[in-house]
Amino acid sequence: MAFLEVKNIKKKFGSNEVLKDISFSLEKGEVLAIIGSSGSGKTTLLRCLNFLEKADDGVISVDGNLLFDGSDRSTTSDKNIRRKRLHFGLVFQSFNLFPQYTALKNIMLAPEMLLKERAKKEKLSAHQKREEHEKIVAHAKELLDSVGLSAKEKSYPCELSGGQCQRVAIARALALSPDVLCFDEPTSALDPELTGEVLRVIRNLKSSDRTMIVVTHEMEFARNVADKVIFMSDGVIEEAGTPEEVFDNPKSERTREFLNRPGF
Amino acid sequence: MSITWPLFIQVTLRLLEGFETTCLIFALTLVLALPLGLVISFGSMSKFKPLAYITKVFVWIIRGVPLMLQIFVVFYVPRLIWDLPAFSRFNAVILAFVINYACYFSEIYRGGIESISKGQYEAGQVLGMTKTQIFFKVILMQVVKRIIPPMSNEIITLVKDTALARVIMVAEILKVAEEYAGYALIWPLFYTAVYYLAFVGILTLLFGFFERKLSYYKV
Ligand SMILES: Nc1ncnc2c1ncn2[C@@H]1O[C@H](COP(=O)(O)OP(=O)(O)OP(=O)(O)O)[C@@H](O)[C@H]1O
Ligand SMILES: [Mg+2]
Repeated sequence: MAFLEVKNIKKKFGSNEVLKDISFSLEKGEVLAIIGSSGSGKTTLLRCLNFLEKADDGVISVDGNLLFDGSDRSTTSDKNIRRKRLHFGLVFQSFNLFPQYTALKNIMLAPEMLLKERAKKEKLSAHQKREEHEKIVAHAKELLDSVGLSAKEKSYPCELSGGQCQRVAIARALALSPDVLCFDEPTSALDPELTGEVLRVIRNLKSSDRTMIVVTHEMEFARNVADKVIFMSDGVIEEAGTPEEVFDNPKSERTREFLNRPGF
Repeated sequence: MSITWPLFIQVTLRLLEGFETTCLIFALTLVLALPLGLVISFGSMSKFKPLAYITKVFVWIIRGVPLMLQIFVVFYVPRLIWDLPAFSRFNAVILAFVINYACYFSEIYRGGIESISKGQYEAGQVLGMTKTQIFFKVILMQVVKRIIPPMSNEIITLVKDTALARVIMVAEILKVAEEYAGYALIWPLFYTAVYYLAFVGILTLLFGFFERKLSYYKV
């Protein structure tokens, strides 16, 4: 069984079938790029994986853990939804940093909340708590360094450029070490001259134990960084394969049309 | 009658007594209506539709009827209709003010809470935070920053609304000044403006201070 298994995901909004039977799998450390025209359901798919939307049917499992199974009521309730969410991370198009916190605090907030709960449950001593907290700070600084923003740890989001904000958001998503990190058009809200720095950061994250799904309109990036590419159209996977297969020898007429659009 | 120093001092002190009552109405209303307003705003935003509906109708009534009338209702209605022991005058004023201002505050809170983008909640959710954690750690501070200007307005209005307490003979500052007017001594009535202006001046400085305190970030 693959590290991430997504099978037969379906999602309707009213009578609008947005995802019609989406299936794919991903090995640990692989990067999947999802491309497709506007409204094809890319965002909805990521939101289903992150449990921001509940799929109507299908199966999601990570590393052998069954997280969602449309035919098994016990996995579709909101119970344990927080636990499930921790398997996935999501970087938003619009960053969604917390404006009242510094870059460093943005990264530390969620780990701090988890520590607080753990401390209560396991009755950690004040000393243990402090030690754990030090670890969180050190890890957050490391992450900030890895996205090239050590110098900005005390800056507020309003003092950062769009590219810097998105890099902080990436570090924040990494803070809880999710099994699968998803990006929803991470550079679409940025000025063209700022997309490069963000794409570079994502490329550098690629490693044997980081599994990533990137929805993107940056075809060069998809070709060079992804191990697998999926082309989505109208709620179905129209084409899937290696970058070479999808970009150089597309089998489907729609994929060809999409790739030959003027402007690409 | 000319103003002599002894008279001036006597009036100043008498007005100060009335002003104490004014301040007490103000402070009690604020302390009780601020949290009650939050509860009401949660009610009006509730996903349980009947509750949201009832709350909205209640807020509509309270905001649609003069506060003076509400004071009369709280003071007279319990004993006229149900023969209940009456509230003391002061308690009736506080009750009417708290309900009235809580409704106004609730609308300001609701506007503030609903103005926070969905993305802020979702960012918290994908980071595994609970609803409570998201509200208190992410949303609340942003709401506070946004509602300071409208809240300042409402709170300054409250300072002056306290004068309505005199309709059921609660001796706030204006009521005391009116008693002088009954003895053909008019100037104390105008003199009360000094007290109000000083009070509002201090509040304005305080709100400015909070706004500056929170100006380190933009929402
Ligand atoms: N919450 C919602 N309620 C109703 N319809 C929705 C909702 N979210 C998305 N949709 C619809 O689902 C379809 C797919 O939307 P989605 O955002 O997943 O597309 P996308 O592939 O991400 O497009 P884009 O490239 O523009 O971001 C659209 O027709 C959209 O109108
Ligand atoms: Mg989208």
